[in-house]
Amino acid sequence: MTPFELAEPKTLNEAIALLDAEDPDVRPISGGTALMLMMKSGVFRPNRLVSLQRVEADYSRIQRGGDGTLRIGALASLSQIEHSGEVRQVAPVIEKTMRHLSNVRVRNVARLGGNLAHGDPHMDLPPVLSSLGAKAIVAGPSGQREIMIEELFSGYYETVLDRNELITFVDVPSQAGWSSVYFKCTTRSADDWPALGIACSLRVENGSIGDVRLMISAATEKLTRLVATEKVLRGQQASEALFERAGESAMAEAEVIDDSRGSASYKSELVRVYVKRALRQASVGATQS
Amino acid sequence: MSEHAKSISFELNGSKTEMLVETHENLVELLIRMNLNGARESCGQGLCGCCTVIVDGSAVSGCLYPAAFVDGKTVTTVEHLDNNVHLSPVQEAFIEEGAFQCGFCTSGFILMTHQLLEEKPKPTDEEIRDYLAGNLCRCAAYPEIIKAVKSAANKMARA
Ligand SMILES: Cc1cc2nc3c(=O)[nH]c(=O)nc-3n(C[C@H](O)[C@H](O)[C@H](O)COP(=O)(O)OP(=O)(O)OC[C@H]3O[C@@H](n4cnc5c(N)ncnc54)[C@H](O)[C@@H]3O)c2cc1C
Ligand code: FES
Ligand code: FES
Repeated sequence: MTPFELAEPKTLNEAIALLDAEDPDVRPISGGTALMLMMKSGVFRPNRLVSLQRVEADYSRIQRGGDGTLRIGALASLSQIEHSGEVRQVAPVIEKTMRHLSNVRVRNVARLGGNLAHGDPHMDLPPVLSSLGAKAIVAGPSGQREIMIEELFSGYYETVLDRNELITFVDVPSQAGWSSVYFKCTTRSADDWPALGIACSLRVENGSIGDVRLMISAATEKLTRLVATEKVLRGQQASEALFERAGESAMAEAEVIDDSRGSASYKSELVRVYVKRALRQASVGATQS
Repeated sequence: MSEHAKSISFELNGSKTEMLVETHENLVELLIRMNLNGARESCGQGLCGCCTVIVDGSAVSGCLYPAAFVDGKTVTTVEHLDNNVHLSPVQEAFIEEGAFQCGFCTSGFILMTHQLLEEKPKPTDEEIRDYLAGNLCRCAAYPEIIKAVKSAANKMARA
């Protein structure tokens, strides 16, 4: 690694001011687990890193709003989120996901904002949070904006964030009536990066799919919502035949890519099978709750 | 030292410590400079656990942890578990169960076990696997390691 300036502002606004809209060699650092890997391998040689470790504690809190919205500070560590009673109450799927996300040491250090802003399509939280209908609250020099998690990613390791914008919070809406599952499919070893991630949230009303959000990651260049497949499902009677059809639809809809974890044709087949399984399990959850 | 070096102060194994660190230095590199060789860099990618260090009570991978980030924090390494007097129950259990061959991975497993037993004094098999999933033992002493974790839990319950 090469020497660089490490700025350690005490407020979020100072941090934003220390970032640079034009300079790709200036970046924020939260837990550093992703950036350290990039710096060690020489993929990234910063001029300046702006540490978020000392900014106001508000950005690492987890709170429930009056309307049932769960607000998670972007600087909350993944362990903190994993062990939060509030998170478990609103969306137990998050805790389950954390168990298979990396290892305890990484979860102790990595922060939610870093996990999302990294833009790696293999990450587990983007599909899960987007299937919950979550949005990121983003702050920049000219104020705040909200971005649905599913709209945060513009390409492979690319997000729609400006270089001087920071994720400050993630809001997860009330999940009353919804049931959610996440399937992480690894093809080489259990702790490998996924070849495919499928996150599914749905509501069952009188035996029919009232509403559904279906996300695919890892097999595609970026997190993708399977909009056409959701249309196949909405309003239809929940049944094996429907889930079978949705699997076929997802296979046709998803633009999967080849990589070391499998060929595109193999992963397409995984999509078909895992979409079906995810729907089956989520609808069982929905009718039990 | 480069122009970007930072002066940090932190508590290391019970003693207040001041150091000048490079911003691109990681925690293992800093500890080695201080003649603490228990945490060692092996995979360098957060996967194997050989570089485990406890920072403010939580296990971290020293190989991915910027040294400058320990400023103001409390750092504990495997060297401090015996408080210079008695081996910890976890250390004793690892020796009694023969939970290692070459010993390269051992300090990491012992520190992770400490964190596990602090949070889950009576861990289930599932919880043991969850906490130790990020530690690799190339000598494959896993069965003995699991036994040592359980035996340490019993020792601590009795103490
Ligand atoms: C061994 C290992 C295994 C892993 N396995 C998994 C896994 O199974 N599943 C998974 O999902 N992930 C996995 N990861 C990835 C891990 O989740 C990420 O490295 C981590 O979440 C990044 O968070 P961080 O706080 O450390 O980010 P950093 O490294 O600090 O930052 C990452 C990126 O985000 C930017 N950034 C940070 N904070 C903000 C913010 N608030 N606003 C805007 N930009 C920001 C940084 O500039 C940088 O570009 C693994 C990592 C390791 C090392
Ligand atoms: S050397 Fe740090 S985890 Fe392997
Ligand atoms: S004892 Fe040799 S690597 Fe674990």
